[in-house]
Amino acid sequence: MSTMPLYEEAAPRRPAPLRRLALGLEPYLYIAPSVILIATIMLVPLIVGLSYAFRDMQLINPFSGGFIGLEHFRALWTDAAFWLSMKNTLVWTFASVALQFAFGLVLALLLNSPFPGRGIVQALVFLPWAVPTFLSGLNWAWLFNPVVGPLPHWMAALGILPAPENILSDPSVAIWGPIIANVWWGIPFFAITLLAALQSIPQDIYEAASIDGAGAWRRFTDITLPFLAPTIAIAVLLRTVWIANFADLIIVMTNGGPADQTQIVSSYIFTQAFRRLDFGYASAIAMVLLVLLLAYSFVIILLRQSLLRR
Amino acid sequence: MASIDIQGVRKSYGTVPVLHNVDLSIQDGEFVVLVGPSGCGKSTLLRMVAGLEGITSGAIRIGERVVNELAPKDRDIAMVFQSYALYPHMTVRDNMNYSLRLRRTPAERMAHVVSAAASKLGLDTFLDRKPRTLSGGQRQRVAMGRSIVRQPQAFLFDEPLSNLDARLREQMRVEIKKLHRDLGTTSIYVTHDQVEAMTLADRIVAMNGGVVQQVGTPLDLYERPTNLFVAGFIGSPAINIINAVLRHDGEQRLIALESGERIPAPPRVGGHDGQAVKVGIRPEDVQISAQAEGDFAGHVELVEPMGLGTIVHLGTAHHALKAFVVERVNYPVGTNIAYRLPASKLHIFDAKTGQRLPE
Ligand SMILES: Nc1ncnc2c1ncn2[C@@H]1O[C@H](COP(=O)(O)OP(=O)(O)OP(=O)(O)O)[C@@H](O)[C@H]1O
Ligand SMILES: [Mg+2]
Repeated sequence: MSTMPLYEEAAPRRPAPLRRLALGLEPYLYIAPSVILIATIMLVPLIVGLSYAFRDMQLINPFSGGFIGLEHFRALWTDAAFWLSMKNTLVWTFASVALQFAFGLVLALLLNSPFPGRGIVQALVFLPWAVPTFLSGLNWAWLFNPVVGPLPHWMAALGILPAPENILSDPSVAIWGPIIANVWWGIPFFAITLLAALQSIPQDIYEAASIDGAGAWRRFTDITLPFLAPTIAIAVLLRTVWIANFADLIIVMTNGGPADQTQIVSSYIFTQAFRRLDFGYASAIAMVLLVLLLAYSFVIILLRQSLLRR
Repeated sequence: MASIDIQGVRKSYGTVPVLHNVDLSIQDGEFVVLVGPSGCGKSTLLRMVAGLEGITSGAIRIGERVVNELAPKDRDIAMVFQSYALYPHMTVRDNMNYSLRLRRTPAERMAHVVSAAASKLGLDTFLDRKPRTLSGGQRQRVAMGRSIVRQPQAFLFDEPLSNLDARLREQMRVEIKKLHRDLGTTSIYVTHDQVEAMTLADRIVAMNGGVVQQVGTPLDLYERPTNLFVAGFIGSPAINIINAVLRHDGEQRLIALESGERIPAPPRVGGHDGQAVKVGIRPEDVQISAQAEGDFAGHVELVEPMGLGTIVHLGTAHHALKAFVVERVNYPVGTNIAYRLPASKLHIFDAKTGQRLPE
């Protein structure tokens, strides 16, 4: 009895097209303010910054600011200092990440096996992470300085250096100064991340493997590494992007010198923007770096997805 | 296959002793079950045989070799863990042939052995799946398969069925028994499920507090428990224990129950006049009758129908008593019941030491 009137009432109430559109839009209208706010905060600075790459923006020239198209990119193509900084970025990033990862993994493995006083050692190991980068940069610059620091004398005594000189002022090896400081500073990140992953591996799987006949090395390659792989992938991705952008130590320790030999792309951007005050050119370089890092991240994310799916 | 010989083995963690002087000889091909309450050291003993725990003192031999200092991988044993401990990143096939790959077994032989084991365990259709896509019971089979492909000297099982539901547990129990019949490999099986212990074992080792209490066939332990602990631990529903005193009345040996009632002692029981004892009688040995045909009187306090039979809880003047009968009785609470405690079925233990009286 009651269904009949309900149906009759419902039929003429089918909404008009305009009303249906309004109904469909309704949820989006509710979230619109926050979406617009977030988009404005995130995208506007990015777009404005990127737009500088196509304009002549020099802080010391009040008449600059005009649109110049791809002029900056053409200049970049023939800029030897830029290509040197690209090469240095590769060396800097690869060496830093590889060494941080290798030492971080070894440290995590050591900290994962029980020994007396492990709690204290764990706390101490994570200390470099808490040191401000500028402080550690200054600290390492002094350590490499033969007047106040012991390192050149030790290295000379070990035969690594012919004489106790400052490696930061030797163009052929200067880049290794900031790399060493960076490795020292970044090991804890890998150690913490990998230790957490190691501790989540069930112990009985190792026991099963050792009963199955696996020695220490096979247990490492057949169990530890596969378990760590997704963590390693994401940690290396994050650190690579971060270190490629990380100019603090270089600015503090060598300022890109001697003769641009330690200039990486991001320190070159910094130099162009804040020393030569050419914001347009700096933006163009930044845009190239952004594109390269996005491409790189994309590849690694795909890699991680396939690792996780396995 | 090999015998396993455990001699004077002790284990302490720091200063805390966990195992006290365990002696146990396991014959080649024997199926031995370790039972005992939680924390009594069963797993510890098993893991010492496997090489996963160090041996504080004593010696363990597998075959003729003393294995105290051997790494697990050199002991040629296989172990099934309670958690299964499958390699989650490997397929079922790779889980099963991992040990063979480590031994560089030729590929054809490996494929043959794995498929034989898989069909024995009903795993043929799962070989290319990852363990996480399997049910608990299937994972359990993979863990077994991983052990049998190796044809080890001995199998060690640590509560392999305790994560399964009752039905599956029963089924796997039978399969393990069949597997042992077919392969005849020496096995040590840890459980705290006494039904598993009774049904699987050639011999049961009952442990408590790190001490071996009794070693014997399942029926040995059931019919002649050597102390109160074993009597109470083996058997379900649990044995009845009644306080009593031995009385020598001339030639006649009597037991005076705490209620004051006297019953004849079992033939040939030792002990002396006035000795405080505990009398054990299994529920199925208590004879009850509602027609007042018995020695003592009691009343029904509770009736537990089990399908297979019925547990009748009796209240008497001084002690509670359980009786198990196969009939489907349904006495109302309070019914007067007469019962009898047949002398030949009594187990007499010293009240102080808990040891069975000599005969
Ligand atoms: N690594 C350890 N350190 C200190 N004590 C331990 C350690 N491992 C085990 N124990 C102790 O040893 C005793 C025996 O443990 P075990 O695991 O052998 O018991 P279990 O008989 O297997 O018990 P369950 O039936 O619960 O598995 C326990 O009291 C436990 O607390
Ligand atoms: Mg255990």
